[in-house]
Amino acid sequence: MAVKRVYSHPMNIQRLETSRLFNRFGFGPRPGEFTEALKNGVAQTRTQLLTVPAVDAGAAAVVEPEITDLGRRPAANSKEILPFAIAMRFQSQQMVMWWLDRMALSDNGLTEKMTWFWHGHWATSIQKLNYPLPMFKQNQTLRTHSLGNFTTMTKSMLNDGALQFWLDGHESTVKAPNENLGRELMELFVLGVNRYTEDDVKSISRVLTGYQVARSNGDVTINQNRRDKSAVTLLGTTSAFTGDSVSEFLTAREDATTFIAERLWYRFISSTEEMPATFSAKSAFASRDIAAAVTAMANDSAIRDERYAMVKSPVEWFISACRALELTPSKLKTPNQLLNQLDKLGQVPFNPPSVGGWPAGEAWLSSATAQYRIAFATWLIKQSDLRVLNELPARQRVLKSADWLGVAEWSPRTQAALRRSINDPKQFALLALCSPEYIVNA
Amino acid sequence: MDTVTRRRFLKLTTGAVAVGAAAPLLSIDQIAQAAIDRPLPAGTPILVIVTLYGGNDGLNTVIPYTDPIYFSSRPEISYKAETLLPLDAELALNPAMKGIKALWDQKKVAIIRGVGYPDPDRSHFSSMAKWQTASPAKHINTGWLGRWVDTQSDDPMLAISLGSVLPPLLAGAKRSGSALPLGGLVIPKGSLATECLQLSKPSRKDSKLMAAAATSMRNLFNLSTSVQPVLKAPAPVSPDLPTTNGGNAGGDSNLAQQLDVVAKLIAAGSPTKVWSVSLGGFDTHANEANAQAELLGVVSDSLSRFMGQLKATTRSNDVTVMVYSEFGRRVVGNGSQGTDHGTSGPMFVIGNAVKGGFYGEQPSLKNLYKNDLAVTTDFRDVYATVIEKVLKSPIEPTLGKWSGRINFL
Repeated sequence: MAVKRVYSHPMNIQRLETSRLFNRFGFGPRPGEFTEALKNGVAQTRTQLLTVPAVDAGAAAVVEPEITDLGRRPAANSKEILPFAIAMRFQSQQMVMWWLDRMALSDNGLTEKMTWFWHGHWATSIQKLNYPLPMFKQNQTLRTHSLGNFTTMTKSMLNDGALQFWLDGHESTVKAPNENLGRELMELFVLGVNRYTEDDVKSISRVLTGYQVARSNGDVTINQNRRDKSAVTLLGTTSAFTGDSVSEFLTAREDATTFIAERLWYRFISSTEEMPATFSAKSAFASRDIAAAVTAMANDSAIRDERYAMVKSPVEWFISACRALELTPSKLKTPNQLLNQLDKLGQVPFNPPSVGGWPAGEAWLSSATAQYRIAFATWLIKQSDLRVLNELPARQRVLKSADWLGVAEWSPRTQAALRRSINDPKQFALLALCSPEYIVNA
Repeated sequence: MDTVTRRRFLKLTTGAVAVGAAAPLLSIDQIAQAAIDRPLPAGTPILVIVTLYGGNDGLNTVIPYTDPIYFSSRPEISYKAETLLPLDAELALNPAMKGIKALWDQKKVAIIRGVGYPDPDRSHFSSMAKWQTASPAKHINTGWLGRWVDTQSDDPMLAISLGSVLPPLLAGAKRSGSALPLGGLVIPKGSLATECLQLSKPSRKDSKLMAAAATSMRNLFNLSTSVQPVLKAPAPVSPDLPTTNGGNAGGDSNLAQQLDVVAKLIAAGSPTKVWSVSLGGFDTHANEANAQAELLGVVSDSLSRFMGQLKATTRSNDVTVMVYSEFGRRVVGNGSQGTDHGTSGPMFVIGNAVKGGFYGEQPSLKNLYKNDLAVTTDFRDVYATVIEKVLKSPIEPTLGKWSGRINFL
């Protein structure tokens, strides 16, 4: 297929595609990987990035934190409240650091990238729950199914304590069904908005009654006395659904194919341009095999199409910088400062702003984020030895830094800024990390 | 607990904020000079938009306290009549809204009742998108004030949202409003500043998003030049942030702090005609009474303090505040001491120039429309009035042909 050329000097398509594969199906290249990939060619690079190893040595080296059931919250002002609050804070922080480390240190980035995608999809925040263990369990569930079967994932998520609590599932009973979970299940998780009626919302809310959640550990049980066991009519089908059967019913619908394809398009290909009807992830998702859809997406001609630039979200930007700068998130000084930096940019893992997940595209490009990004990058660079940059002869830095950072190409504008900074590695790195070409994956 | 202070809803399901076309090639010097040299002319009207994210329960905000159906519909979460702040023989304010009640008594508050749009959508994201784009029937990706920004001459200071993420409200087709973080701006100095400005230049090779990234850097320098000195003044302490049940549908949590910054910048003469602030947490599916009262208390206290701060300036008569949420909630409680997503709700318009009182018909509790409150007023009537009377602009470029107006200004 002919690629639409919008610039007078066409971009090197191999560099573009390689840059996209690294940044969209992982969290960007580590030093040397981009140059190596250019030598290997796009086909081999794609296969390599899409092949999840049986054991990922980089990820396996990240020590799993001990997240425990903290039990009932002690009364305010009691002497137990202080150790409780300290443990909660410590464990929550450990959990975020653990996940960021996995993102930054995995040899193959796909699993963590997909877990990250699903976290934004089934967006659950620790803010309301206020206990780390259920969030930790949810994260493991998302990772287990991240490239698996979507129907199985949906069943597991309905039995996920963090999601149930977040959307008031535990409050929903036969006497008084609560619509929060049922509505979002159809709107945001499986079908997409307006692909059901308000009556369907009422029906599914009756199906999803009776769940009980142990808040401190996320254990889910079903109280049959609180459950509505009667038949309901949902999207034209009348049945006495259960959580499992309603998951099967919803995920089997054609609208689920469209919706998940749309979400993949929006997060991996373009948040600004419409998904074309021919997007190959859609047909590949007919089996509900997530890995098949992801593979199809990575092979789709859209991945070579210059129209589909993507803004890196703050976490993606930060992790890709860590990989280039050879930094380990949990070792940065200090974890609190790191969380503060991420919060200022508006994105902290386990803490999405709403059940709709994080925004995308130009929302990350305000004058305020420009300021915070500069401060964040300065803080990171201070903690890096800038090995790669220092090892490059000054006159090669402008050109070779694009490979180092996985950038398709520097614009003449950015080259000018970098060229004037070749003898100041810190400033050079800062400008590169805050350049439009690094913030936006071409 | 730990971190989030900025929570911002954004349209998610069918594409985010519009991407402004490549910005015109102004030099930094030109913009910075303009920002310093031309404070907003005295007497220019200023609009402050307050967005309540999550769907504020209108029936527990402006309460029909003499209607027995109110009490019988939601026994667990109705307020006792004697605790309320009566506005007339039928309606009263939530007990937490003493500040707004005082402004009401001074005839500075218009309450527009039953506001919504045809065929109400109960999705937070769709409904908020309809309000922010002012296009209930068709999804578009420009905000109503973004389209107004499009009609004005290019000025990054013209419309400013507090917080680091830009709401769709201010996204235009050609240009967008700017975002201003809380807590002041720290900008690079020396040769780093020179090179950051170099990065902010447009490049022929830029994709739309890269151009937007460059523009955001340019706006940072521009904003910082004129805003920095003002923000350095000590900020008043913000009240305790509510951490409540309704925390899952977006919005910022520090409304008081946002309004403090707006008050200071208005006082300093920032050439800004539109400000956008927000508060989240109104999605009260469970244990609503305390959570909502706490939030309404924040809205009421922050706005009454804001109006008080303006008194000390020369611009107190120029400011109009508009408060809205994406939908009201169900009339009948849901059994979890909360309410599910509903339809219409009240809007507040506050200012010295406002003709205080009630507007729009109060939706009947007896004759519900599909078990929900009827929509008696279209929000575009309010927007059209605000565009003409506050922004002094023709409505067509923003709302198309729209005949409805409300006489509150």
